[in-house]
This record gives sequence, structure tokens and C-alpha cells, in this order.
Amino acid sequence: MQIQKLSKQYDGKTVVDGVSFSIPKGKVISLIGPNGAGKSTVMGMISRLIAQDSGLIHFEGKEMGKWKSRELSKRLAILTQSNHIQMKLTVRELVTFGRFPYSGNRLTREDQEIIDRAIRYMELETFEDRFLDELSGGQRQRALIAMVIAQDTEYVLLDEPTNNLDIYHATNMMKTVRRLCDELGKTVILVLHEINYAAFYSDYICAFKDGKIAKFGTVEEVITKENLSEIYQVDFEILNIAGKPLSIYY
Amino acid sequence: MKSAVIRANERKLLLMAALVLLCTVGYLLLEVNLANPRLLAYAMKLRVPKVVVMLITAFTIGGASIVFQSVINNTIVTPCLLGMNSLYTLIHTAVVFFLGSGSLIAVNANLAFGVDIVLMGLVATVTYSWIFQKTKHNVLYVLLVGTVLTSFFGSLQSTITRVMDPNEYDALLTTLVASFSNINSEIVLFAVVLLAGVTFAIRKELALLDVLTLGKAQAINLGVDYDRCIRRLLLGVTLYIAVATAMVGPISFLGLIVANLSRQLLKTYRHSQLILGSALFGMIVLVGGQLLVEHVVSYTVPISVFITVGGGLYFLYLLLTRKKV
Ligand SMILES: Nc1ncnc2c1ncn2[C@@H]1O[C@H](COP(=O)(O)OP(=O)(O)O)[C@@H](O)[C@H]1O
Ligand SMILES: [Mg+2]
Repeated sequence: MQIQKLSKQYDGKTVVDGVSFSIPKGKVISLIGPNGAGKSTVMGMISRLIAQDSGLIHFEGKEMGKWKSRELSKRLAILTQSNHIQMKLTVRELVTFGRFPYSGNRLTREDQEIIDRAIRYMELETFEDRFLDELSGGQRQRALIAMVIAQDTEYVLLDEPTNNLDIYHATNMMKTVRRLCDELGKTVILVLHEINYAAFYSDYICAFKDGKIAKFGTVEEVITKENLSEIYQVDFEILNIAGKPLSIYY
Repeated sequence: MKSAVIRANERKLLLMAALVLLCTVGYLLLEVNLANPRLLAYAMKLRVPKVVVMLITAFTIGGASIVFQSVINNTIVTPCLLGMNSLYTLIHTAVVFFLGSGSLIAVNANLAFGVDIVLMGLVATVTYSWIFQKTKHNVLYVLLVGTVLTSFFGSLQSTITRVMDPNEYDALLTTLVASFSNINSEIVLFAVVLLAGVTFAIRKELALLDVLTLGKAQAINLGVDYDRCIRRLLLGVTLYIAVATAMVGPISFLGLIVANLSRQLLKTYRHSQLILGSALFGMIVLVGGQLLVEHVVSYTVPISVFITVGGGLYFLYLLLTRKKV
């Protein structure tokens, strides 16, 4: 996926300003940066949820706008920052929606097997008949990921998947992200607030500031004292733990 | 492989269908002299068309209400907000005022139905398809436009009635309340054809309703052309309401009641079941209500009073018990 000079304005205010980068296939790419830097807006534009004002997105050899929405939904899945589902849905019913791009409302035996596997992958077997609104935040988040897995796309976009999760569940979520990439060969693009999760679990980091890309590169290239201090405007120390540059800020 | 919820709901729907049948048969046969074939034939001639109209109306309003709520993503809205009721009232008032209660349009039911359908269809297409597109498919604009239209039509109508001849006004009033009797079979047939046509035109979008309730972002993620889909559904719903209103007159709270009863009873996201449930509830309320009106309170209270009072109370109950989101 190549992104060229992507821009977006809201009410005359430029929130994404000439963003260009290429997303390496089969890797985990984290977008970091302060609140309001434009990360969610970029995620929205590269997943056709938000229309860009200018710029081009090339996806798998075709311009994004030329893709049929249904075809795209078999190749790219997105989980947005907030998911308020109003309907009474069980976990299994939610995961089943992941097969919609392939089979509509009529599921095949193969679909059922894929759904079973997705539920097992996220260890949700014991909850599969529970309603979503009866689950904890962590369980609900896992159910949503299971739906994404059932959607069986090469690209997976997650906007702040660790939001509102405690340390245990957030860490497990990050391990799952890593497994999606390493075991299932997916390209995962995610927005993260915790810099250390980004540093520990991603291959590449794209740091945003004021609607522009401040730094893009491998973890080692981006996570340096100078870069982070500049992006976040606070003091940072970098410690090398388990071969990863982890940061402390104060 | 069907889940327990689906099967439980199928049983509930079957029970409701049985209730509808019971109400219908009860309505047709109560206090009829079965021994006298001529009296029986006479009673059937009066009652069968009426019951058919009630069943169609219930189906139309019940189904349209569920679809409208799912498009707006809010379960306490009703398609009344679209302004078709007040447009109907305005059209009929204007006809009586400008052309007189003895004019052809006022007297000829078929012609009146045609005029209603054409005008409502026009307003529906312009406001809910064209303007909706212009506002970048923001459903809040729909509610706003609907509210503005409702009060605009309403104030025009009341301006006209203020300068109207009292006798004409009297004649007008009876046509402004919903009535299921004296609707000729040509209108019924035409309404059914129109409803079938609209349903056929939006059949693909109807199949997407379940996915739509996951929200805009999720629906697009799953490959739904969201804007086009809700635009077509909205137009479909408005035309549905237009047909029902042109046929029987304004029915206010019915849709809100039956759609919520259906959602409460079935507790599912499956629209095939929700729509059916809502339609069946509508049939029970209308036919059962009419049965009460004719045979228990012997016409002293019209059914619309029951529906409005009952609907108002139910609406209040919904507002008070609704979980804060
Ligand atoms: N729909 C919208 N209308 C107006 N402004 C918006 C909208 N969405 C986002 N913004 C603004 O765009 C900027 C970037 O937002 P966002 O992409 O959500 O940032 P991030 O995800 O990096 O926190 C913010 O200033 C936000 O207020
Ligand atoms: Mg964000």
C-alpha cells in the first residue's frame, strides 16, 4: 500500500497535511503521536471510511477509489476507535458478520468452520453465546478481533486496540497483534498511545505530529531520545531492554 | 444450524400469527347470523375489505417503522417524523378550501388517492433522496428536514382552516382521521401493487439491514455502499408511509408502538424477524382494536383514540425506561 500526499481539512483546518508513506507487507506498523495529530483520520482515509480532500492511495495495484467496496472488504479490515453496537448480539453472531463480504446472509459450511476457528483463536469458546453487553471491555475487544479474523483479510487496521484495557489485557492484545502478523501473515497497521508497546511489538513506527509525518522508519530509527522529545515536547530517556529501545518520560 | 434465539423467536412469531388469525376470524364472524346466508354475505361484504385494509396498513406501517429506526439508528423515532401525515392533511384541506368539498377530487376517492400519491411521492423524492444526497447523507438532517416540513405543512393547514367556511371544515374533519371503512377495492389493489414495487426496488438494501445496525464504519468495512443504501431505504420507507397514509389517512403512533413491541419481544438484530414481528403486532393492534371498538364499546370511541392514547403512554414508558447510553 502506497500513500501519496494525503490531505484532509475539517472546517478550513488542515488536520492531515501531505502525508506520504509506503506500508511494508507482512509487518506490524504502529502509528504514534499526540492526540489530535491526525492518526485516526489517516486510518480512516486508507480504509475508505473517510474521503480524502487530495492525495492518492494505491492498494494492491489499484487506486483505492477504483476498488469495489465489497472486494476491498475481503482484503482489508478496520476496527475503529469506538465501537458502539446498539443491537443485542452474541459473540458468535458478531464474529459471523465477518463472513458477510463473502457469503452475505447465507453462510456456507466453510464459513462456519472459519468462524469456529476465529473464536478458538481468540479463546472465546466459553463466551460464544453470551451477549456483547454482558462482557468485560477486554472480552468485547477480543470478540471484535475475532470478527476481523473471520473477515480473513490480508490487511488489518486497528485504531487504539488497547484503549480502555488493563495491563494484562492490553499486553495480550499486543501479543495477538504479533501473532496475526507472524502466524497468519497479515499486515497489521495500528494506532497506539503506549510508545513502549509500539517499540516492543512493531516492526515499523510512523510518528505523527500536527497532521504530518514526523518520523517513519524501523523501531530503532524512530525511538530515540531526540525524536520523541521533539514529537511529544517532554523529556525522554531510552533504555535498551531485551534488545528493544524502551522509553521513560517525565 | 439454528441458534436457540432464532427458534424461540420463530415460535413467538407463529403464536402471534395465530393471534392475528384469531382476531381476523373473530372480527369477521362476531355477531353475524351464520344461519342466514344473505345476512352473512352482507356482513362479509362490509367486513372483508375492511379487514384486508387493516392488515395491509399494519404490515406497511410496522415494516416501515423498523426499517426507519434502523436507518436512523435510534429506536424511539417513528416515520411520522417524515412529514407525510401533515402533508396528507394539508393536501386534503387545500382541496376542500380551493375546490370545495363537492369538487371532483374531494368526492372521487380514486382521484384523491392518486393526487395524494403523486404529491407525497414528489415531496419524498425531493427531500429524502435529493436533499439527503446534498447534505452528504447526514441522517440528522433528515430528522431536521422532517420536523421542519411537518410544522410547515401544519401551519399552512391551520392558516387555511382559519379562513374556511365552518360547514366545509366540518366535512373536511371526517376525512382527516384514519378510517378503514369504505375504501374501494381499486385503491387497495393499486396500493398493494405500489407497495410490492417499492419492496422489489429496495430488496437488496433490505438484505443489508442487519449489517447496517453495526454502525456506519462497520457496515462500510464489510463492503456495504452505506450512503446509497440508506438513501434508498429512506426513500422506500417514505413511499411506504405515503401509500398507507393515502389509503387510510394519518395514523400517528402505531408505528412507534409496534416496532418497539417487536424489538422488546424478539430481542434480536435479525430484521426479517423484527419486521415480521412489527407487522404482526400492528395487525393485532388494528384488527383486535377494531373488534373492541365495534363489539365492546359499540363505536362510542374511535380506534385512533385508543392508538393515540395507548401510543402516547407507551412512548412515555419507553422514554422513562430507556437505558442511558
Ligand atoms: N469529523 C470531524 N470533524 C471535525 N474535526 C475533526 C473530525 N474528525 C477529526 N477532527 C479533528 O481532526 C484532528 C485530528 O483528529 P484525529 O485524526 O482523530 O487525531 P488522533 O487520532 O491522532 O488523535 C483533531 O483536531 C480533531 O479534532
Ligand atoms: Mg484517534
